[in-house]
Amino acid sequence: MKEEQTAAAKNAVRRNDMAEHGLRKDSLREPLVLGNPTLHDITEKISSIAVGAPNKKFMLALTITGLMAAWGVVAIVYTIITGIGVWGLNNPMGWGWDITNFVFWVGIGHAGTLISAILFLFRQKWRTAINRAAEAMTIFAVICALLFPLLHTGRPWLAVYWLLPYPNQMQMWTNFRSPLEWDVFAVGTYFTVSLLFWFTGLVPDLAMLRNYAKNKLGRTLYGFFSLGWVGSSRHWHHYEMAYMILAGLSTPLVLSVHSIVSFDFAVSVLPGWHTTIFPPYFVAGAIFSGFAMVITLMVVAREVLDLHQFITLKHFDNMNKIILATGMMVGYAYAMEFFIAWYSGSSYELFVFKNRATGDYAWSYWIMILCNVISPQIFWSAKMRRSIPVMFIVSIFVNIGMWFERFTIISTSLHHDYLPASWGYYSPTWVEISIFIGTFGIFLSLFLLFTKFLPVIATAEVKAILPNAQPKHGHHGGSSTLNPGEAH
Amino acid sequence: MSTNNSQHTGPRKYWKSLEELVSTRSVGEQARVTTEFPEGYDLPPVENSGVSRRTFMGLLSASMAVAATSCRRPDHKFVPAVRGVEYQIPGLPSFYTTVFTHGNAATGLLVKAREGRPVKIEGNDLHPASMGSSSAFQQATLLSLYDPDRMKGARVSQGYSSIDNAVSFIAQALNEAQAEGKSTRILLDEHASPSLAALMQEIEAGLPSVQFVVLPAIAASNAAAANNATLGMNGEFVPDYSKADVIVSIDCDFLSPVAKHAEYNIGRFTQHRRPSLANPEMNKLIVAESTLSLTGSNADLRVRLTPDQYEGFLGALAQEVGAGVSARSAVSGEAAAQAKRVAADIKSGKQAVVVVGAHLPMAVHALAVAINQAIGAIGADKPLDPGHQLPFSGDNRAAVQALRNDLKSGAVGAVIFADTNPMYWGDNELKSLLQRVSRRFAISMYEDESASICSIYIPMAHYLETWGDAISFDGTLAIQQPLVAPLNESSVSLGEGFMRIAKAANSTMFANTESYLGYVQQQWGFTGEGYKAVVSSVAAPSDGDAAMMASSGSTTWEQVLRDGVLRKDRAVPVASFDSAGAGRIVGESPKIAAPGGNQVYCLITPSYAVYDGRLGNNGWLQELADPVTKVTWGNVAMMNAATAKQLDVEYGDMVKISTSHGSIIVPTWIQPGMANGVVATTAGYGRQKGGVVLEGVGSNAFALLGPGESLGYVVANIEKTGEHETLATTQNHHTLMGRNIVQETTLARLKGGSKELFARVNVPGKKEGETGNRFSPPENIMDEYVYKGHRWSMSIDLSSCTGCNACVIACQSENNIPVVGKQQVVNGREMQWLRIDRYFVGEGDLETLDDNVQVVFQPMLCQHCENAPCENVCPVAATTHSPEGLNEMTYNRCVGTRYCLNNCPYKVRRFNYLNWHKKDRTPIEFAFNPDVTVRMRGVIEKCTFCVQRINEAKYKAKDAGRSRVRDGEVVTACQQACPADAIVFGDVNDEKSRIHSASKNERGFLVLEEINTRPQITYQAKVRNDKSTNA
Repeated sequence: MKEEQTAAAKNAVRRNDMAEHGLRKDSLREPLVLGNPTLHDITEKISSIAVGAPNKKFMLALTITGLMAAWGVVAIVYTIITGIGVWGLNNPMGWGWDITNFVFWVGIGHAGTLISAILFLFRQKWRTAINRAAEAMTIFAVICALLFPLLHTGRPWLAVYWLLPYPNQMQMWTNFRSPLEWDVFAVGTYFTVSLLFWFTGLVPDLAMLRNYAKNKLGRTLYGFFSLGWVGSSRHWHHYEMAYMILAGLSTPLVLSVHSIVSFDFAVSVLPGWHTTIFPPYFVAGAIFSGFAMVITLMVVAREVLDLHQFITLKHFDNMNKIILATGMMVGYAYAMEFFIAWYSGSSYELFVFKNRATGDYAWSYWIMILCNVISPQIFWSAKMRRSIPVMFIVSIFVNIGMWFERFTIISTSLHHDYLPASWGYYSPTWVEISIFIGTFGIFLSLFLLFTKFLPVIATAEVKAILPNAQPKHGHHGGSSTLNPGEAH
Repeated sequence: MSTNNSQHTGPRKYWKSLEELVSTRSVGEQARVTTEFPEGYDLPPVENSGVSRRTFMGLLSASMAVAATSCRRPDHKFVPAVRGVEYQIPGLPSFYTTVFTHGNAATGLLVKAREGRPVKIEGNDLHPASMGSSSAFQQATLLSLYDPDRMKGARVSQGYSSIDNAVSFIAQALNEAQAEGKSTRILLDEHASPSLAALMQEIEAGLPSVQFVVLPAIAASNAAAANNATLGMNGEFVPDYSKADVIVSIDCDFLSPVAKHAEYNIGRFTQHRRPSLANPEMNKLIVAESTLSLTGSNADLRVRLTPDQYEGFLGALAQEVGAGVSARSAVSGEAAAQAKRVAADIKSGKQAVVVVGAHLPMAVHALAVAINQAIGAIGADKPLDPGHQLPFSGDNRAAVQALRNDLKSGAVGAVIFADTNPMYWGDNELKSLLQRVSRRFAISMYEDESASICSIYIPMAHYLETWGDAISFDGTLAIQQPLVAPLNESSVSLGEGFMRIAKAANSTMFANTESYLGYVQQQWGFTGEGYKAVVSSVAAPSDGDAAMMASSGSTTWEQVLRDGVLRKDRAVPVASFDSAGAGRIVGESPKIAAPGGNQVYCLITPSYAVYDGRLGNNGWLQELADPVTKVTWGNVAMMNAATAKQLDVEYGDMVKISTSHGSIIVPTWIQPGMANGVVATTAGYGRQKGGVVLEGVGSNAFALLGPGESLGYVVANIEKTGEHETLATTQNHHTLMGRNIVQETTLARLKGGSKELFARVNVPGKKEGETGNRFSPPENIMDEYVYKGHRWSMSIDLSSCTGCNACVIACQSENNIPVVGKQQVVNGREMQWLRIDRYFVGEGDLETLDDNVQVVFQPMLCQHCENAPCENVCPVAATTHSPEGLNEMTYNRCVGTRYCLNNCPYKVRRFNYLNWHKKDRTPIEFAFNPDVTVRMRGVIEKCTFCVQRINEAKYKAKDAGRSRVRDGEVVTACQQACPADAIVFGDVNDEKSRIHSASKNERGFLVLEEINTRPQITYQAKVRNDKSTNA
């Protein structure tokens, strides 16, 4: 209800603005920032979130997520001390929740780069309101993802450095033919570049916080990380160059990371894994799940931090369109897998897909179809794309569906492969479940801390898209005024 | 710092009283505990050395002085290493011959020892029963040698004692019993030792009140009694299956891996199971049975009968062949038609033989003898040679009945359980009678159900620890040679124990014989100087074992020890058929009781793993999958789908099987191919005492038997309990799903000279079963690697493999493969590198397969693919290809991503999910092969093609100045054990090698050839001798 009222109020403001400029209502794009705030308003608003003292609600949330994380750490320590045997894995099924969670978290981490890099290069101004949080989410998700390749090994204390190629007296190198080794590079690169990109974008805002920090520690830390930013034209010049270059570097990563993660499966010989459709299908799926997680988080953050002004229904509308599009892509991939299984003439391949839909793990497959293919169809309706409760529920569905997609792929191909004599079944133990809950704890704790200590909105960028950030061209008439955020 | 810490590794113990505490301590400690203030209590506590503080300080300063002036360690004892142990070179194995007796079936073995401890059991190729192979059961006895649950010392009234004490107490008790006018019964299992037989005779003569009673858990009296009445031969045949072209088994599970002479039966049977285009001949196995046994699984023709039909079925056969003896009942319908088919095969002009399960009534045995007589199967050089009998076999029902009578009348004053466990397998009556005997003693390896009711027990030594001998079915003598001194110093062999007791009871006995070894040597004729004596009257070898008899007519003790065997002349009994006797037996014989209303036939057979439970504490065997059901760790109730439907039970549903004598609760196993209304279960489980491994495993099916009943068919009630158990199976899916993983063909096709014996691969566009689909591998854009030196390869003949599991245990023993326990098998984490996949094939689904079910066994192990999918996915290069074609696993490098396991199409890689050795208790680690790494948790392992054996052969070749290993010099553990000789291993680059020709064989196929992994194992297609089979 509150949402609707606010929206109505904002719309009234908008109409007034439009009337003021003498524009026709239907020819105007929705503004990206509502309420026509001044630059100072934005600075005040965002920095007050970051430098203000944490309230009780925040502390409660952080306690819950912290406990989740701690529980996960207990399960992790137990696993490392006792062995992978405390999980439910067995002989035909060498992977289960571990790699499912890995791919799930890497997928979540996809939206960040897409929003920051690709949308930046395509001049999609609406990205500015959500890119900071999405990038933060990416980094936290990749941290969670990186836990699993390490934890799933039988001897993590060795895996932690034997997977890295380093010169040694044994002249023992890693196996560069292994997709797992490619993962090390792909995810490592992705994490590094994402972190740098995020940090670069943060520098002007950190300088802002430095100025607003209420204590010495804050001033010192924000000051240190803002790298002496004073906002000079030279600074802006370098900053924009660096940002552009990093965006360029990140763009191929959006495609490469999940392509390479999909190679973990596609390069194998297992029916159901050994398919060429995997790279594009995984990338689409990753963007799909990443945007779903952005929506889940931003719906909450917008409400709790009162960011309605910056994160508008238009943003959500755009993101939901992407969810609909990528959801259709994964739906197409699901169908195409069945077609190819039939078309290939391989009885093993055909069996695996029949078994996916009707076998022991059929429940998992149908959860996936329901969540990933059916539930986003509601976004064909513009009204639904703008309904906060609907999009929140669908985004949760998509998150669940995408987790089950990875689980279905891993479990159905492993549990019934070539020789029927070695077929088996797998279900997780409390330890695996705890570790997964733990990663959510880590992810959410980091995100909460992020909202508390860093600017959740890329202030500098949002300022640049304000209607009054640019010289007004309204009196010249013409189309340029229709796009108030246009940079010159 | 207690000296007997090793005995108290279990959970913390609380003692109820000081007496109880004393009883658990060693003799030395007992003295300390029982004396309230032992000598020297007021001195400072110095561990066992008796050194006072003052002396200690003195020594300390002196040793400091010594240490300061010299770097020499104090020498306690000089070992003159220049005079080492004969033939022993540290780091190199030594092989010793010995003999293992399974009941009265003796098999010569060759045991490998490293640094004085046995590490691997193999067959002695000079011994007629072994011919170089060994069964799973024999292989597994190695683990029992190092079993930490074996008795640690003699015990007298709850307390550890010296063996001399125990012996003298027992002897005293025997004399007391005699004084009371009562006798002593020494109960023992069947044996094959001529020396033991002589010793027992001598003891019975010297101690009139003592009588030995052979009391096996699983008796075969029916066969012996029938043979006695019909042929005048009170014993059991050991059939030579290589001499028969048509073998008709009436519920006779002679291919069972725990059958007496399993390795001999399988070896002889499979000699004619390897047809080729050049020689398209093979024997035909026809099995009539009501369950699906391992023998039935190998049948070319299976006849499904209910137990009441056996007699009529054989009667029909007898009539067809004109045996002159008729049955009391007749079969009709399908069974009669089948009998006609079988009779046609028997009368086809080829040598046939009919064998009958030991548990079937005498009438069936007598009919079979009559048929065998009529078809000329009995006689010298025939399948049933009267010269080939189990030694010391015979109808002992009278002796057992006499024992029961004496026990009932109270005439028995003392009983000694000599390596037998009637308190486990005995019926309730026998158990209570035995418990009524006032003096009970035991000589036993374990504190089992029987030993634990005894006041005194003497630990029995393992057969690898003591001297003894055994005679095999054809009269070949074998010496049981110890490889190691008894691990528990006070343990003795049965012979030694008997002798010591006799000596103590009657000092005039064995006055000149120092030990049982001396006694055996006397028996063998190695008297006086012993070692250099010459045996006279040694016969010339009858067949090819000439190596044994290098010096004809004289053999030294060393030669006997080296060869392990000695042939002596013996009179071959002549069997003459008595038709009237056969008729009489058929008339007299009891019938198998028929079930009433809602009752079922329950067939109780010995377990395919632990036999009658004697090796119940052996983890290797407990975890060895039943070859038919693939269930480990316990027994099940096998029944077909129709019976299960009637009972409304599914896989794993617990059912209660009960007779008037007792009941068991076991999970359901739905087994296609069983007769309706028949339930089968296995004995040997449900042990209560005798180690931690056997506790709580399965249910004791012996409990269903009444007095005088032996394993076989009983009439039982069966009901659903409503509980469920997840079965610990190593295979969860039982059909081939229409995949061409196992190739089959028929003898008819081979005879027809067909070039395409079977459908090759799953090629798109071809119909199921269509032949002529050859896989053509894609062109390689790179140059192929050329294997210039050796290239190791293997061939496995599915036609001769019977699924006996010998290879599985051989591999487990050779490669230090851990036992994971029941729960982990349920979890799917069994570690065996070599598994035998068993598929049920036939028209229809598992529920309707009963009549036409066929079984194939496929030993599955690392295929050492040339294009190994596991190798390229390992991120740390822990699994790589060797220049000799091996897929090698570097455990040190492995970080355990399990990607290789996932990507292995054959799923032969095993992951150490946990530290499986965490619970290993001393001295079990001495069973490990020192040439093979014991893997830690978190690493993958798999078959290495016994790379340690390859390397050993290469070193030897290099020492001999050769650049290449010769064919036959590398024998993998599985190949070595295989009684069927189904496994061929060698260098495929050597064009004269067996493997070279085997891999080019027209029956050869590669598993999953179409995914181009290029496996190095060529399987030979299974051939069925059945025209009706469509392969």
